Amino acid sequence: MGALDGLKIADFSWVGAGPRATKDLADNGAIVIKIESRKRPDLGRLSPPFAGGQKNLDGSAFFAQTNTSKKSVTINLSTPEGVEIAKKLIAWADVVVENFGPGYMERIGLGYETLKSIRPDIILASVSVAGRTGPMAGFRGYGNSAAAHSGHAALTGWAGRAPHMPPLAYGDVVAPMFATVAILAALEHHARTGEGQHLDISQTEPMVHVIADLYAHASMPDKAGNEDADYLLHGVFPCAGDDRWIAIAIDNHGQLTPLADVLELTVPPDEAALAEATAKFEAGDLAAKLRSLGIAAAPVLDGRDVAQSAELAAAGHFVALDHPVLGSARMPAPPYQLSETPWAMTAAPLLGEHNREVLGEIAGLSDAEIARLEAEGVLA
Amino acid sequence: MTLLKGIKVLEIADGLVDFGGRMLAEMGADVVSISSEQDRAKERVLAWHHGKTRLSVDDPEAIIPLARQADIVLDGQRNGDRFGLSDVLGPDTKTIHVRVFAERGSSAPATDLTLMAQSSLMGVTGDPDRPPLRFPGEQAYALTGIQAATAALLGLYARRRIGHGQRVDVSARQSATLASYREAIMYEWTGRIGRRNGNLLVRGKSGVRQVWEARDGHVTWSMIDNPPMMRALVAVLAEQGVAGELSDVDWDNTLVADLPQETIERWQAIVGEFFKSQEKAQLGRWSLQKGWGLSVINTPAEVRHSEQLASRSLFVQVTDEATGEKASLPGPLFVSTIKPVPPARTLSAPQPASSFKRWSAS
Repeated sequence: MGALDGLKIADFSWVGAGPRATKDLADNGAIVIKIESRKRPDLGRLSPPFAGGQKNLDGSAFFAQTNTSKKSVTINLSTPEGVEIAKKLIAWADVVVENFGPGYMERIGLGYETLKSIRPDIILASVSVAGRTGPMAGFRGYGNSAAAHSGHAALTGWAGRAPHMPPLAYGDVVAPMFATVAILAALEHHARTGEGQHLDISQTEPMVHVIADLYAHASMPDKAGNEDADYLLHGVFPCAGDDRWIAIAIDNHGQLTPLADVLELTVPPDEAALAEATAKFEAGDLAAKLRSLGIAAAPVLDGRDVAQSAELAAAGHFVALDHPVLGSARMPAPPYQLSETPWAMTAAPLLGEHNREVLGEIAGLSDAEIARLEAEGVLA
Repeated sequence: MTLLKGIKVLEIADGLVDFGGRMLAEMGADVVSISSEQDRAKERVLAWHHGKTRLSVDDPEAIIPLARQADIVLDGQRNGDRFGLSDVLGPDTKTIHVRVFAERGSSAPATDLTLMAQSSLMGVTGDPDRPPLRFPGEQAYALTGIQAATAALLGLYARRRIGHGQRVDVSARQSATLASYREAIMYEWTGRIGRRNGNLLVRGKSGVRQVWEARDGHVTWSMIDNPPMMRALVAVLAEQGVAGELSDVDWDNTLVADLPQETIERWQAIVGEFFKSQEKAQLGRWSLQKGWGLSVINTPAEVRHSEQLASRSLFVQVTDEATGEKASLPGPLFVSTIKPVPPARTLSAPQPASSFKRWSAS
């Protein structure tokens, strides 16, 4: 029994900024129907790594981890009949999610006003780079655009060097988390008032929110590498091995002496001496020693370390799911455990895997109609 | 916003839950925050705690009644359960008790930096000749706070059906690690381990730049396999008479990811000279009009004065009740068709917990 059992979502979103939100909902029990098309495949399905190393719309591990627990139907929204079928799914749904380019939903006849005419209490969540209003409403960009627009890039990096872009589309991580929260809050409001609403989630604004502590400064700090004014020592230091590092954070003078003792340094240790001393240790060993002394320290982990982490495995961070193309594939799970309504994950859907089930049961199409619409390229 | 009007939230603040409580307060919940045991920088207190009622712990016994009255307890205690909350908030109560741990099953000290280090994000952030680099601010804490808010709202939704609250345990380490969507899966499927590439975006056999100098700052743009985008950019270069050999490229039949690095460098040099000759606002306008996929890298001051963000009322004036100081901070989380009723734009001065009677009076 999941927390969201019985909740119905029509999910038009693609790539990362929308699908990560609907994954949160699906893993927690909502029925999420992903509306996609072979004519315009979700770019997530085209993103590596692929099972067998070959591009395959059903073999992307990237897509699989972003779309667990959902159902997939293929509807060609560039056809009038396809749009009419989509409207049947909207009539069924409590929540609609989309992250198309600005104006696309309106152009195909599925704007918020139309959705309301189909279901007056519908909750529509739209995710876009800059939001649906304002002078940049038409901006077409990517998750990293939000890093540039929000100040993240300008505040990342080393003094005297150029701004630094995150190594991933961080806006595609933060914005869908905001979308999940927004949808859940809108559902609470709906339960009490019966009202739906259109939630307009910009990727840029959440990225500003998560660095609000920096915006709280009267004069904005410049980028400062790994330093943090709240700490006496806050840095990353080399360890034995190839590209191995340890992060150490000290916030009171009482921790300086045990640190210096372990590293055989004088108090207070300067950073150059620290780097020389830490380089003699294996990162995990040194971190364990410092943590046992009450000092916050951790090895800097890479992708292999995370994949092989015994602690994460014990915490259930990865769940092995059987997928028809990927085989048994480990997928990251939600980072929380609910005692009474636990999440449960199933494998991401193949493209159009649930056409007959969903379009038959929800859209009321017969097998013959589905076959005809498939042949005509409407269900494609 | 008033989406959560009437929802009572007790927050035991210690970094990990603070932003989660801030989100719930922004959406209309009545958030009462017990101040952190540790001193935090005043900017962090202001950023994460405005719009809440702040209490100091003059009497630990005063906390349990608040927890019993709360719909949600965001419990970020780091050093053991100092108020005994887990003893009184069982699943038979109405309360959704969200307990946030740095790492489940471990009491080892952790900070935002050490959590980010373990996420695999830092290992791929930064320049190859420097140590791994953190993200700005406190991203592990922020990510954890959002997950705590999510978990609380999941519990609230479920409560309508099951009739009672529940306990939810949130891991900060997992919250930060979940954000790193590429590194572990790339290793599992290809055996490749990501490294720091500076601002180089490596795809296929080659790497392309992500950060470019403009006349008055920086922009981000990459030469990627997007023919319409490349044609749109080259058209403007041609208008300006600086397209050079780029005018002759058949973008529909060119796979940038497979080009020799020297060709990419030659083409990037043309683009780089052009970008350097232009103001970033002009480059931003072209990008918006013509679909280049280029973004201006805004300085924080430019973000504060952004016309786009002003049109959406993102920044609000927040007053520190104790000092009278004002700060411009992000307010609404999103825009909605439901007219927002914002929370108080103040950082309240802490009051003794024993004197707080609002909940018992309601």
